[in-house]
Amino acid sequence: MTRAARWVALAAVAVGLVTFPYWSAAWESSRFATTVLRDMLVFAIFALSLDILVGHAGMPSLGHAAFFGGGAYAAGIASQRLGTDQLPITLAAAVLVAALLALVIGLLVVRSEGIFLLMLTLALAQIVFAIAFQWTAVTGGSNGLAGVSRPTLFGIDLSAPDRMYVLVAATFLVVSLLIWSLMRSPYGRALTGVRENERRMRALGYDTTRLKLSAFVVAGMIAGVAGALSAYSQRFVSPGDAGIGTSVQAFVMVLIGGAGTILGPVLGAGVVMYIQRVLSSAIPVSETVLGLVFIGFVLLARQGIVGLGRAAYARVRAP
Amino acid sequence: MIEVRELRRSFGGVKALDGVTLTVGDGERRAVIGPNGAGKTTLFNVLTGELPPTGGDVRLAGAEITRLRPWQRARLGLARVYQRTELFAPLSARENVALAVAARAGPYRAFRAPPRSEYAAADALLERVGLAGRENAAARILSHGERRQLELAVALAQRPRVLLLDEPTAGMSPAETARITELISGLDRALTILIVEHDMDVVFRLADRVSVLHEGRVIADGTVSEIRGDVRVHDVYLGKAVSVA
Amino acid sequence: MSPELLFQQALNGLSFGALLFILAAGLSLVFGMMDVVNLAHGAFYMLGAYVALTVVQFTGSFWLALAAAPVALGALGLAIEPLLLRHLRGRHLDQVLLTIGVSLVIVDLIGLIWGREVRSLPFPPGLDGTVVLIGGVYPVYRLFVIAFGVALAAVIAVIYRRTKLGMLIRAGVEDAEMLGALGVNTDRLFALTFAVGAALAGLAGVIAAPVFGLQPGMDVDALLYSLVVVVVGGLGTLGGAVAGSVLVGPVDTFGKVLFQEFALAVIFAIVALVLLFKPTGLLGRIRIAR
Repeated sequence: MTRAARWVALAAVAVGLVTFPYWSAAWESSRFATTVLRDMLVFAIFALSLDILVGHAGMPSLGHAAFFGGGAYAAGIASQRLGTDQLPITLAAAVLVAALLALVIGLLVVRSEGIFLLMLTLALAQIVFAIAFQWTAVTGGSNGLAGVSRPTLFGIDLSAPDRMYVLVAATFLVVSLLIWSLMRSPYGRALTGVRENERRMRALGYDTTRLKLSAFVVAGMIAGVAGALSAYSQRFVSPGDAGIGTSVQAFVMVLIGGAGTILGPVLGAGVVMYIQRVLSSAIPVSETVLGLVFIGFVLLARQGIVGLGRAAYARVRAP
Repeated sequence: MIEVRELRRSFGGVKALDGVTLTVGDGERRAVIGPNGAGKTTLFNVLTGELPPTGGDVRLAGAEITRLRPWQRARLGLARVYQRTELFAPLSARENVALAVAARAGPYRAFRAPPRSEYAAADALLERVGLAGRENAAARILSHGERRQLELAVALAQRPRVLLLDEPTAGMSPAETARITELISGLDRALTILIVEHDMDVVFRLADRVSVLHEGRVIADGTVSEIRGDVRVHDVYLGKAVSVA
Repeated sequence: MSPELLFQQALNGLSFGALLFILAAGLSLVFGMMDVVNLAHGAFYMLGAYVALTVVQFTGSFWLALAAAPVALGALGLAIEPLLLRHLRGRHLDQVLLTIGVSLVIVDLIGLIWGREVRSLPFPPGLDGTVVLIGGVYPVYRLFVIAFGVALAAVIAVIYRRTKLGMLIRAGVEDAEMLGALGVNTDRLFALTFAVGAALAGLAGVIAAPVFGLQPGMDVDALLYSLVVVVVGGLGTLGGAVAGSVLVGPVDTFGKVLFQEFALAVIFAIVALVLLFKPTGLLGRIRIAR
């Protein structure tokens, strides 16, 4: 396939994705598929942001939900306290809060690596969770933040399910494009260098601490966007959105799909969401299935679905 | 160009560097030799900033750099070739060098692919060190000798003023050793080179002056012929030297 | 706070600390030996409690449950290590990820087998009363927990210091690679250590069940608390588990009484601080594993 053809195909897929509720209405009027796909895309954005850390920069984090939840709460609280539904405002609030959290947490974790980084991010995210869980006056406490209104954009009300979906899908496409171009740039190449041999990068003259911190903040901001979209979609924010379960979920998505790629986290989000939303109504052991699938990938296909695909392609190419 | 004064570094009770003082001139090629455990690698680690000294100071071109971080020293023109190869294993040889070339421009360039000039410069350097044709090979599949050549290319890509070579011929066949030695010998004479070596033939071929390290101190410092005839140096290598406590 | 209340809370803190020790000792041991943070540790704890529930249901004996649960969990650990973890030797991060998967499976299966409603385990007869102390009346069971924890620590200390197994484990914690080079069957040692860790977690589950009950999410709480104890007290040593639990137990109890709303945040802030400034914890020792 030539390059031009590839771009055309991608554009077609993108258009199809964004307009999904309109052409799927023919065969599913219950909007179930639209809702599941919407949630899948929200988590795809979340997983893509985590992959910046896990896959590209080599910083395994088990606390990424702090920014997702932080963004979700910020969007919800902003819309309620400021009495506005304007998307730019509530989204900006989410990105700002997430960026700040990421900066603070990032400054604390940036010098750790491996298992210590894992535990440190977990602990710090738990602080965010604990605050969300117990600061009832602001966050609604253990009951969560209810009644989050859906946003309006330049006067257009996005409350309807299909419009909400379009917002999510469009954001997903923008974020994917952003991350894709970021990773091809010198910045992305520098992150790869940090991941592969941080000592050498320092010897070459790169300020790796600042690089890692910047990656942390960028990843946090995008997670905040995902969180805001989650708040709008569900019209609800729960403390669990900042909890360890959500962090683990994103990590599982990245690994199953394939860390360090663009397609990987998206596929992973799809697989996990499918198991949790669709399979769960068919069989009672869906989480067990997810756990087993995850174990299988860690043991046998560490590079995820994308890795399997690449290996198969190489096998076909050069016997 | 490089000035080291009374440099000390201890690990627990062990004095790896016990008052090292030496001065390397601009464009000079200085070999640092000494028996194992003399402190040669520790000296390099302190020079690059990966290890802070417990005493003394380091100057580069007159400026004090003792407190500077490794990446800051690299920006000032200090480059190192490691004893044990430190490359970006899954990346191609070209990408390895390109990262070094790009370091000067800074990494905060997003949203555009890296400029072709970086890769062209990388290819030129690879050709210079004798790796033409291997640009696309992943670093991890290169042979040991090829990896050392790549290391040299990466270090040169930093456009250094000072090059620290840590046992560049370690583990090489005679043919590879000869090739690397020729490469180093052909480097720009404006470049100041500090080389740690065990292979005396290489030392005698490349060095202008030699410093001999023993138990963390410089015990002899002179031209190649001076060192060759120095009794103290012979004693140190043959184990007859009495330790200065 | 009145002196009676203070005394009561102190006892609460100590009994919670004793429980934390039993819970965290296994996690610390596994990390010290294998450089793996077993994120399924909370799930093991939870499984121990539910196994005890069933045993008590069928036999009516708490004491039988107290013996059965650790055995069951030990067997599970003995199966998991060679089946799964062994294939990832040297890949510590991946081993940690694997334990996440194990945790997902165990917790889901528990929900499937026992259901997701809140359950409770009755106090064993004989320990279900109260006793009159300085502070007023105090539940006997909590005193039992303290005594049990101390006794267990003593037994573990004896095994650790004076038996061949203990010596092997101490050596393994110090340098497992060297031990292997000396000809010790490290595979078997690792499997055994993992099994002991799981068994201790299960034991903690049984002991805690009458006090805290059984409900979904108890695995996460247990995991987080054991992480807190192990990090604060010292990663990888049993002494660290003691130090950590003796510290965290009362701090958490008093924290909840005094700060209520933000006690949880404070605990994790302490963890973060310790990880930042003294990553080995108060008493810990680690090797940097690449």
